[in-house]
Amino acid sequence: MSPGSLVVMLLVLTIVWGGLILMLVIALRREREKSRDEIKSS
Amino acid sequence: MASERLEQFSSRWSLLISMVGIAVGTGNIWRFPRIAAKYEGGTFLIPWLIFLFLWSIPIILMEYAMGKGTRKGTVGSFAKLMGADHAWMGAFVGFVSTAIMFYYSVVSGWCLRYLVAALTGDLQGLDASGSLALWNQFINGYQPILFHFFSMAIGTFILFRGVVRGIEKANQVFIPSLVVLLLILLVRAVTLPGAWGGVQLFFTVRWELLLDHRVWLDALTQNAWSTGAGWGLILTYAVYMNKREDTVLNSSVTAFANHSLSLVSGIMIFATVYALIPLQARAVISEPGPLNTGLAFIWIPQLFSRLPGGYFFSIVFFLALFFASMSSLISMIELAVRVFNDAGVDRHLAIVGVGVVGFIMGIPSALSSSFFLNQDWVWGVGLIVSGAFFTLAVLRFGVSRFREIYINAEGTDIRVGRWYDLMVKVCIPVEVVALIGWWFWVVIRADPEGWWNPLKVESVGTCLFQWGLVLLIFVWLNRWMAHRTLEEP
Repeated sequence: MSPGSLVVMLLVLTIVWGGLILMLVIALRREREKSRDEIKSS
Repeated sequence: MASERLEQFSSRWSLLISMVGIAVGTGNIWRFPRIAAKYEGGTFLIPWLIFLFLWSIPIILMEYAMGKGTRKGTVGSFAKLMGADHAWMGAFVGFVSTAIMFYYSVVSGWCLRYLVAALTGDLQGLDASGSLALWNQFINGYQPILFHFFSMAIGTFILFRGVVRGIEKANQVFIPSLVVLLLILLVRAVTLPGAWGGVQLFFTVRWELLLDHRVWLDALTQNAWSTGAGWGLILTYAVYMNKREDTVLNSSVTAFANHSLSLVSGIMIFATVYALIPLQARAVISEPGPLNTGLAFIWIPQLFSRLPGGYFFSIVFFLALFFASMSSLISMIELAVRVFNDAGVDRHLAIVGVGVVGFIMGIPSALSSSFFLNQDWVWGVGLIVSGAFFTLAVLRFGVSRFREIYINAEGTDIRVGRWYDLMVKVCIPVEVVALIGWWFWVVIRADPEGWWNPLKVESVGTCLFQWGLVLLIFVWLNRWMAHRTLEEP
């Protein structure tokens, strides 16, 4: 694989797949915080 | 009028899986690799990625916010946001997706038929002429109607069970299975001898091609057609969101998940085709074939029959394709059901009505390829008009006001700043004008004599005539629709 293609591949996959994973992790943390808050308030 | 209590998705994850089900369809698996191959793969990926941020996410965000905020389908949402005299715009948005549903069910039927063929071993040992003969035999007989009926029947059955027990449960099967099936195909593809040549081709950028406006417009079109932005489907599912649920993060996850699965499909297709027929790879992937299905229904059966374990991988491919199509089809049926339900029609009656009408209206597309291509052209470009209507709705309401009241509302995980105003006021209107202008220009240049003719399969005239007719009817019915939809019990 040429260096140029490799760089493009890493960049695109990092943005798209990395972005998705990052957002899912943020969502997971938010959900945990929300359930913790709900337990506290109840 | 909508007196019954609205069901809600049982959790954020159920909502997200269902939203991803809308976005991910057959377009990810067969259209995306085909368009990417037109521009040597990597060149296309750059604008495709840029428009994720400049088109898909901002419009998906609008849909989430409108559905969650107004608790109404397309007609009621537009009427609530813009005033009762604009219900016709929501009706047009809803009709465009419903008109697509009529022939999309036919496509789901094709996927189901090929899944059956894969299971019975009919796809084994096919060469080029055998593959084409199988397609012609199928498409010219009664079977497209039969399998279109099965698709609509499965879709309406799922909706009949309700939002949680129907839409949510079905997508909990479709989407994780689709991801697993695509990953199985991806692993098989990249481990074939010579497959990395295809992966390299998929990520090779020819920078000079970025100066060609067509790659930008094709990338924008792929975003408009593949992510579900501007269809009204996301708005419809957002009606069933919890009031305290986030909009911004969920919108981004939906769009990124769609692009992620497109990449998996792209790598899988490029690697498979390149490994098996390296010299013809680009031509084969970018070849539209009959009804733009060349790759999925003509080439894949031939290619997979050459693979060790081809029987198994053919089943996996067509099962993935069928799941992808069904997850989108049920959202299209639900959009129409929601609109009727908002207008006071009993939900079960609306489901049966939409199912029966959807089946009948899809028959011409199942029987005639010209009719199918005409509908695909008219309502495919109509989606860009739908995107424009969403933008107009937000502009009329006031972008900053919309952002504060609907987007940055209770439960949001991330606040959206002023950049969004710029997107809605400048970027999206420019994109809409460029897209519609370009598609019309392509058609006028291809047929300078007959572009105005409404009886031609792909002409500017047929778009304007069919859109005009539908708009005229909805403007005429506007007061009645708004009254039925907005009247509280």
